[in-house]
Parts: sequence; structure tokens; C-alpha cells
Amino acid sequence: MSHRNAGSWPGGGQARETTAGRLRARLASDTAVAQTGRVIASVVFRNFKALRDARVALAPFNLLIGPNGSGKTSLIEAVLRLCALARLPLGIPPADGRHRADGPEIEFNFTAPYDGLEATLRCVSENVCDLLQVVPRAGALREEDWTGLRSRLLRVRSYLLDHYAMAAPAMLANGTELAGNGGNLAAVLAARARAQPAVFAQFRAEVTRVLPEYDDLRFAERTDGTVELRVRLADGGEIVTAQNLSQGTLYTLAMLALAFDPAPPPVVCIEEIDRGIHPRLLREVRDALYRLSHPQATGLTRAPVQVIATTQSPYLLDLFRDHPEEIIIAEKHGRAATFSRLSDRADLAELLTEGSLGDMWFAGILGGVPEEK
Amino acid sequence: MKLAILSESPADEAAIAVLAAAVLGGPFERVQPALRARGWPNVAQVLPAVIRHLHFNTLADAIMVVVDSDDSPVHTVRHDAPGYFHPLCRLCRLRAIFRQTVKNLPPARGREGVLRGAGVAVPAIEAWLLCGRDPQVSEAAWLNGQIAGHLPYTRAELKWRTYGTDRPNLPHEMRCAVEAAQRHGRDLRRLENDFPGFAVLARDVRSWVGT
Repeated sequence: MSHRNAGSWPGGGQARETTAGRLRARLASDTAVAQTGRVIASVVFRNFKALRDARVALAPFNLLIGPNGSGKTSLIEAVLRLCALARLPLGIPPADGRHRADGPEIEFNFTAPYDGLEATLRCVSENVCDLLQVVPRAGALREEDWTGLRSRLLRVRSYLLDHYAMAAPAMLANGTELAGNGGNLAAVLAARARAQPAVFAQFRAEVTRVLPEYDDLRFAERTDGTVELRVRLADGGEIVTAQNLSQGTLYTLAMLALAFDPAPPPVVCIEEIDRGIHPRLLREVRDALYRLSHPQATGLTRAPVQVIATTQSPYLLDLFRDHPEEIIIAEKHGRAATFSRLSDRADLAELLTEGSLGDMWFAGILGGVPEEK
Repeated sequence: MKLAILSESPADEAAIAVLAAAVLGGPFERVQPALRARGWPNVAQVLPAVIRHLHFNTLADAIMVVVDSDDSPVHTVRHDAPGYFHPLCRLCRLRAIFRQTVKNLPPARGREGVLRGAGVAVPAIEAWLLCGRDPQVSEAAWLNGQIAGHLPYTRAELKWRTYGTDRPNLPHEMRCAVEAAQRHGRDLRRLENDFPGFAVLARDVRSWVGT
């Protein structure tokens, strides 16, 4: 790996853009992303935690499976770290020697129109990655490329949903977009119901279809500026507060809220998408996330969202029989972890004649299972 | 007629229920509508338990089981010869599972046993749904393709042709499945002619009448 000088264009990451240039870059990137459905093309890890030498190419939809500690969350954390550092001016390696040439680093490659850029996170330790370098693959770097990519990276979102947080009332003013733990779910939905009633009506119709025990969503605004989510039971009309909803119901509501976001982020990372959800509802979860990553499949014309999700559910994996290219298997051998694509297995078609993907995974044939001694 | 249906997805079940009513010539009472399997070979794994459950714990008169053939050998007339059993043919397997499961069951709930209706959609139920709309799609076309080593279409292509996408959401899939089944329900002859895997199912169902 050759490290290129990050300070190869003036101004580093500080945007110096005109309105027209910003608009042109946004339009070009929207068109390109609409065609590819991806923003991040691949991630390469070197000496980062268990990912000593691991590469993963990312598709529009990516479902990571694998044992605990195999790097699934590390991939999401790396994306988040990239996005966090993208907020700052691009770095120039300090001369203090903290960033060793053989130290941990994570390299990102992007899809068109940003495929001419390569971003590298350099780390002081496995837990401290504080230097982002962005360099052109060839020729001179165009500032508008980084500006356009940066604007997308700043909108990347990651979710590790917390049903306790989701059940609590949320500040009504804090309803712009769903928080990482889903804690402002009530505020987000209330804001959509107020500002975009048609979009909210679609969402409500989907909720009542997926969860037919309910027939409406309600919002109780309080004097302290918070709003509480409530649902109405289809049988009898009783109102149930969010605090009395099951974990799985709240997770499902949050997943649908993401899927019906009228202005979704370009990349969404979600951990444990099966958590708390009945196996028979996993098809709905998959469909909801496909609505993000493949909007054209549901008749939507907006740009696709790149989805990076993790699961430990064989039942969910079964639903990807027709799209094994969307499955990333994280493996851990000793202290080293690697990634592979399920579709890269030459014997996959033959395997699928013998059993379901979930069974094959559990059996250990696909890999991605805990090591035993 | 009290009928249970076991298949691979809610959309498949919805289509099969419509086709069942068409073959029976009228509505039926659905027993245990929550039965479901997760595709082959899970259908084969759970079928014995499902049959026993229906036999002892419900008033079901019959069960219809429909699976996709995927890339497995297509059931042919040769498989129907007395004593013949193709270990990889899914219809042969379903029938064998049924036979082995019911043969030692005592009568229960006032009837001898649960009647069998078994069908295999070649290569997937989308082919049944396209029958009559897409002249290229038939069981014979798939079988000839298997023999020649050049399949006429893929399952993904069938999804595209049926749903307009290879990632249909569940409501869209169910809507398309029910609409196609209702079209077939008005005249089943084309589906029975082009898809022997459906014709054997229809024959099973018709054999129940009067039993």
C-alpha cells in the first residue's frame, strides 16, 4: 500500500464552492448514484482490529452475517468514522510519527462520479482513527469531486435501534430525521404527519398492513414540548402508548419509518435488523429495506440508498436465495477476520438444491460461524 | 370441504387458494391458515408433522401442498409407473412422504385420514402465473431445456416477467399472484395442459369429490 500525500490540493476538505458548482455537482452525483445505487464501492482494512488484511466490495444492498467479533460492526464503524472525519478539514500527516506506515488504516473506494477518489483513514491505534486523507486515483484532484462526495458522506446514517429510547416521548422540535437509536421516532413521525400528510398516509397504510392488529397511529403532544407515539388497536379501538408496545413492534415501526423517509440518506447502516422481529415478519423487513436500496422496484423515482445491514438470523438469510450477491460473510480465523461474498462460491447453486441458505449457514458450510476448539 | 394449504410463501398460498376453489368448483373452508414452510427442503421436513397435526388436531378433510421444482428433475409420466420413485423429483418425494406418514395413522375425528393434493410448479410458481400470457413459458419448455442443457429462462427472469421486478414486495407479489390465479380460474384447461405439475394437483383435488 502506498500512501499518497493528502494535501495534494489547496484548501483540503474545506469547501470553497459556488452555488452553481454545488448544484452541478449535486445533479451529476444524483444521476450517477441513481444509476448505481451505491456510494461506497469497497472498503479495505489493514491491521485494523481483527481485520488484518480484509477487503469488501459493497453492493447497493449488503447483508452481513458472521460470528460475533468477525468485523461486521467494524465495517459500519469504519463508514461512520469516515463520515465523522469528512466534517473536518482533510488532514496532512503530522510529523509526530503517531501514524505509522504499518499502522491500522482503512481505505475507501467510491462509485461514479466519485470513483476517481480514494479516501484513507489512518489510525493511531485500533480505537483512534483521526486522520482522513483523500487523494485522486489519477491526474489532478478536482475540488468539486470531494465537495460532492463529502456532501453525501455527511448525510450517511447508522442505526442501532433501542426500544426503550423509541418508546419514550421525544422533543417535537427534534423530528427532522431519525436518530441513531430511534429515540425520536415519535417526533419524526409527528413531523411527517404534519408536514407531509400524503407521505405519512402511505406510511400509516403500510404499518397497518404489516401490523394488522393496529389501525391507526396517534400523537399526543405534551405541554413540555414532547410528543408521545400511540397506536390504536384494530379490535376495539383501544389506544396503546409506545411504552406498552413490544420491542419487535417498535423496531418494525422504526424500520418502516426509515423505508418511508421522503428524503433518505445516501447510505444507511443498520445493525441486527432481525432483532425482536418474528421470523414471519422478516420478509416485510427485507422488503422495507429494498424500498430504500431498490426504489424503482416499488415504483419510486428517487435515488437509491445504499444499505449495509447485519443479522444473525438464518430465517432472514433464507430470503436472499435469489440474491446471494447481497450477502457478505464475515469470517474469523484465530485473530484475523475476512469478508467474502456468498455469490463468489462456485458451488452455491448445487448447495441450494440441498437446503436453505439459513440451514447451510448454521451447518457451517457457508462459513461465518463461531470457531470451536 | 375443509382444506389446508402448505406452500412456500403467502403469495403462493393466496394463488393456490384461488386455484383450489376453481378446481373444486366453489369456495372451501380454509383450515389452519397459518401453516407455512420456508421453501424446499423445509416443506419436506415439516410435512409429516403437518399431516399428523391436521389429522389429529383439526377437522381438515385434505391438504394441498405445492412447491417449486427449482432445478430438480421434472416429474414425468415415467415417474408414475408402479413402484417407481425418483429420489430427486419433488413430486415423487411429496407423495412418498404423504404415503409413509398416513399409512399407520389410526382414524381420527370421524374420518380415515387427510386427503392429499400435491403439485409442483416448474420451475417456480411464477411460471404458472405467466401461463397463457407468455407462450414461451411451459413445463415442456423447461424440461426440453433441462435435456438440452440450455434452460429457456431463469427464475429471476420469470420474476421480472411476472412482477416487473426481481424484488417485488409482498403486497405486489400477492396481487399479481391472485390476479393470475383468478384468470386461470375462469378456465383451467390451459394451465393443466401446459403444466402437468398443476394437472396432477387438479386431478388429486377432483378425486376428493364424493370421498
